Amino acid sequence: MSFLTPLFLLGGLAIALPVIFHLIRRTSKEKTVFSSLMFLQSTPPRLTRRSRLENILLLLLRCLVLVLLALGFARPFFHHVTSGPEANAPPRQVLILVDTSASMRRPEIWEQTRREVDRTLQASSPTDRLALFTFDRQLHPILSFDEWDRTSASERTALALSKFVAVKPGWAAGSLGTALLKAAEVLMDKGSVRDAAEIAREIVLISDLQEGSALDGLQGFEWPPHMKVSIAQVKSKKNTNAALQPVADASELAGDGVKVRVTNSRDASREQFELSWLAGDKTRLATMKIYVPPGQSRVLRAPVLPPTAVADTLLITGDDAEFDNRAYVAALKPAEVPLLYLGNESENDPAAPLYYLKRAFQQTRQEAVRVLPRSAADALSEKDLASARLIIATDVAAENRIPALQRFLQEGKTVFWAVTSPAAAESAARLVPANALKASEARGGGYAMLGQIDFAHPLFASFADPRFSDFTKIHFWKHRALQLDAAGKGRVIAQFDNGDAALVQYSVGQGTLLLLAAGWHPIESQLALSSKFVPFLYALLEMSGGLSRHISQYYVGDKVEIAGAPGTAAKVVKPDGTEIPISGAMRFTQADEPGIYRVGLGQTAARFAVNINPAESRTAAMDLETLQRLGLPLQEAGKHVSINRAARPQHLQELELENRQKVWRWLIVAALMVLMVETWMAARLTRPGSFPAEASV
Amino acid sequence: MSIRNLELRARVVVEGFWNGLHRSPYHGFSVEFTEYRPYTSGDDPRFLDWRLFARSDRYYIKKFEDETNLRCHLLVDNSRSMTFGSVGYSKADYANTLAATLAYFLNLQGDAVGLMTFDEKIREYLPARHRPGHLRQLMLALDKPAGGAATDLASPLQRIVEMVRRRALVVLISDLLAPIDALDRHLSGLVASGHEVILFHVVDPAESSFNFGNASLFHDVETGRDLYIDPALARKQYVSRFQSHHQSVRSICDQSGIQLRTVSSDHPLELALFEFLSSRLKAGKKIRRAVPSSRR
Repeated sequence: MSFLTPLFLLGGLAIALPVIFHLIRRTSKEKTVFSSLMFLQSTPPRLTRRSRLENILLLLLRCLVLVLLALGFARPFFHHVTSGPEANAPPRQVLILVDTSASMRRPEIWEQTRREVDRTLQASSPTDRLALFTFDRQLHPILSFDEWDRTSASERTALALSKFVAVKPGWAAGSLGTALLKAAEVLMDKGSVRDAAEIAREIVLISDLQEGSALDGLQGFEWPPHMKVSIAQVKSKKNTNAALQPVADASELAGDGVKVRVTNSRDASREQFELSWLAGDKTRLATMKIYVPPGQSRVLRAPVLPPTAVADTLLITGDDAEFDNRAYVAALKPAEVPLLYLGNESENDPAAPLYYLKRAFQQTRQEAVRVLPRSAADALSEKDLASARLIIATDVAAENRIPALQRFLQEGKTVFWAVTSPAAAESAARLVPANALKASEARGGGYAMLGQIDFAHPLFASFADPRFSDFTKIHFWKHRALQLDAAGKGRVIAQFDNGDAALVQYSVGQGTLLLLAAGWHPIESQLALSSKFVPFLYALLEMSGGLSRHISQYYVGDKVEIAGAPGTAAKVVKPDGTEIPISGAMRFTQADEPGIYRVGLGQTAARFAVNINPAESRTAAMDLETLQRLGLPLQEAGKHVSINRAARPQHLQELELENRQKVWRWLIVAALMVLMVETWMAARLTRPGSFPAEASV
Repeated sequence: MSIRNLELRARVVVEGFWNGLHRSPYHGFSVEFTEYRPYTSGDDPRFLDWRLFARSDRYYIKKFEDETNLRCHLLVDNSRSMTFGSVGYSKADYANTLAATLAYFLNLQGDAVGLMTFDEKIREYLPARHRPGHLRQLMLALDKPAGGAATDLASPLQRIVEMVRRRALVVLISDLLAPIDALDRHLSGLVASGHEVILFHVVDPAESSFNFGNASLFHDVETGRDLYIDPALARKQYVSRFQSHHQSVRSICDQSGIQLRTVSSDHPLELALFEFLSSRLKAGKKIRRAVPSSRR
C-alpha cells in the first residue's frame, strides 16, 4: 500500500487531541452545585485512572475517526492489487496526433516532439491500441490501428518509432480543428469495430499549439463520451519569430514595388530585423533595417533592387525561427485567352460586329483575350481549335467548317452564334444533330426588346439583381424569328417581347451551342452599345471555361489551377528542381514547399510563387483555455503530459492507480460511520442520570 | 414534599401526626398552664376547676397563660445555601415545610405564630398573632423563593431580641452554614431575655457525607465561587471540618440551654414535629419550675 500524498498522514498525529481532551475534559466542563464551600479546599486537577477507563471506547472511536480521515486524505492505493487488474484493464485506444505544420520547424521544437512521441509510446500498456497520425492541413496516418493490431505486441513500439523517424515537419499550415475532428472520427470508427462504448479513447496531441492554428469546426462539436484529449505542448525557448508575406494585392508584385507585410510574434524578445532581397542562395541585395514591435505587423515597400539585379526572394533576418523568413514573389503574366471569331467583316468597320467584339475585350492584368478573326477564306487550323475554348460566329458557316465545329462542340467547348440572317441561323442549327430549325426575318414595325430572361442561367446570373436586370433600354431593330424544333431540344434562355426566342441554348455532346437571334452591332440592335455587353461577353467567356482564375501567389498546400490545352504535355518544376509532368489543364496539388514554381518551358513558361501561410507565423503559444472554451474534453490539469516534468510518468501512474481504486472514499465512509457510533455512544454516556455518582445521591 | 401547596403539606403532616397520637394531652388547652386564681363574678364559669372545687370547696379559675400566651417566632433561614438539595427537594423546601407545619400546628392550638425569614438581612417579618388569615399570610411569606446570597445569623437574632419583648418561643430553622463566631453571643442574649429557643439544624445528607463521585468544579451557590474538588480526596477533610462545625454549634447550644435539633432533610417531618413537641413538654415543665417568679 502506498500513499499519493503521504504528508497528510501527519494529520494522524491529531489523535493526541482526543486523548488530551479525554484527560482534561471532565475537569473543565462539569459543574457540581454545592451549598457551601466553607469546609472545602481546592484540590489540583488529577487525571484519575477511573475517568480514562470509563470512556476508553469513546476515546478509541474518536482516535479511529481521525486516523481514518488522515488515511483518506493521504489517498492510499495498492500496488500489488492493481497490477493485476491493470493488465486486464479495458483496453484504451490512444491516437497520437503529431503536428507537422510549418511552425514545428522552429528550433528545438522537433527534438522535443520526438522525445514526446517516444515517451508516449513507451508509456502505453500492452493492452492499449495506439495509432500515430500527423496533421498539417489534413490528417496523415503514420501507423493505423489496424497496423498496430497486426504487429506483435513486442514490436509495436519499435515499428511506430521507426515509422515516425521518417516524419519531418512540412511547410503547410496546421488545421488543428479539422485534425482533431478527423482524429475523433478515426477513434470512434475503430471503437465501434471492437466491443462496447466503454473503451476509453484518448487523443494525445503533440503540438506547439501556436495561435495561428485553425480551430474551425471545434465549436459546437459534440465530443463522444469516454473520449479525452490530452495535450503535450512542445515549446521553444527562442520565441522571436519575424515573418514575411507578400501583400496579396499583387498589382505591384513585379520588380521593385513589392509590398510586404512583416509580422513579429506576440512573445518575441527582439524587434529589430533586416530585410533584403536574396539573389541566388546567399547574395543579399539592398538590405534595409526594419523595426516591428512584438505582436504587431507592418506593411512596407521592399527595398528597391539595383537596376541590373534579378531576385524573386525576400529575406528577413534577425529572429530565431528560420522557416518563415523567406517570401517569394512571382511577377504575374497575363494569361492568353484565344477566342475564335468566324465572320467575314473587317476589324475596323464600326458597322460590323467584330469591331465591337475586339473592343469589348481589353487586356487586363490577369488575362489578355485575343480575338482571332477567321474569315471564310482563312483556314481553321487544328491548333486554333485546340487552344480556343469559345468560338463566336455571326455569319453563315462554310460547309467544310461544319464537322470541325461539331467536333469542337463535342469536346465540351462553346459556340456562340449571333445569327445575322436566316441562313446563318439554319447553318448554325446544323451543328445540332437531327435538328431542324426554320428561321425568318421577323416582321413588324418598331423594335423588339428582351421580354423574358432566365436570370438563373450563368449568362444572365450577374444581371439577376434588380438594379441590373433592366434590359428594356436595349432595342433590337431587327431580329430573326426562329421556329424551334417541336422536340424541344433547344432551351430558350431569353425571349423577345413578341414571343420570339432571343437566345437559345443547345447541348451538343459536352459542348454548348448558343444562338442569339440578332446581332449586336448598331444596325441590328443597341446591345453592343449598352452597358450589358461587356459583362455579357465575359460571362460567356467564363461559361465556356476560357477564363481561369489565374493567381500567382499561393500558400503551401493550395491547389494550383494550371491552364493548358488538354492533351498537351507540360511539366511543373518545383523549387528544388524536381519536375512533375502534368497534362493539359489540371489542378496541381503538389505545391508542398515554398518557392517559385515554373510551369512549361521557354518563352511560354509561367511562374507562380508558393509561400508559407501567414497563420503559421503566429507562433506564440495558444491559451489552453481557448481549447477548453471550444468544448475540447481536455484531460485534467494534473494529467497533462509535459516535457518539462521529467519525473511525472511514475507519479502519473500512481495518480491513475489511485484514481481507479479510490480507497479514500471507503475510508471517509468508514470515518463517518464510526463518527455516528461515537455520537450515539457519547449521547448515551452523557444522558442525565447515567453517572453512577449522581444516581447514588 | 410531593405536595405543592405548603399549607396543605403542613396540614397533612399535622393531621397525620394527630392521627398517630392515641391520646392528646393538649386537647382543649393552651400549651402553658400558669396558675389558679380565685373565682370572681364575671369570670367565665367554663374555666372553673371543678376537681379543685371538689377537693377544697372553693371556686378557682384555672388560669392558662391566656389564649395566646404562647408566642412562637419562627426564624427561617432563606439564604441561597438552603436551595441545595440532593434528595429531590431542597433544604429550603424542607425548612419551609417544617416551619409551616409548626405554624399550622400551633395555630391549630390557638397560639400566636410569627415569622421572620432572613438571609444576609431580614426579608419577611410577620409579628406573632393568632388571627384568621394570619396563617395564610404566613404560608405565603414562607412560599416565597429563597433569594438572599449569604447567611447572617446575627442580625435576625439581634432584631428578635429587640422586637420581641414578651417571652416567646423562638424556633430557628437554618443550615447554619455561616461563621458561628457571634452565634454564641446572640443565642445567649435571646435566652437571657427569657425566650425559649429551639434550633433546628437542617442538614442535607450529601452535606454530611459528601459522597460525590467524580472530581469536578464545585460551585458555591451562596458566594458563586468555583473550586475544583476531587471528592475522593477532599471527603475526609470535609467530613471532619463539618463535624467540628456541628460540634461547636452543639456546644454553644448546650452552654446557652438551647435545644438543638439536627434534622436531616430526608428525615420524615412528623418525627421532627414529634421531637419538637416532646422537647417542648420537657422544656415547658422545666421552665415552669425553674423561673416561676420571673413571670408577671
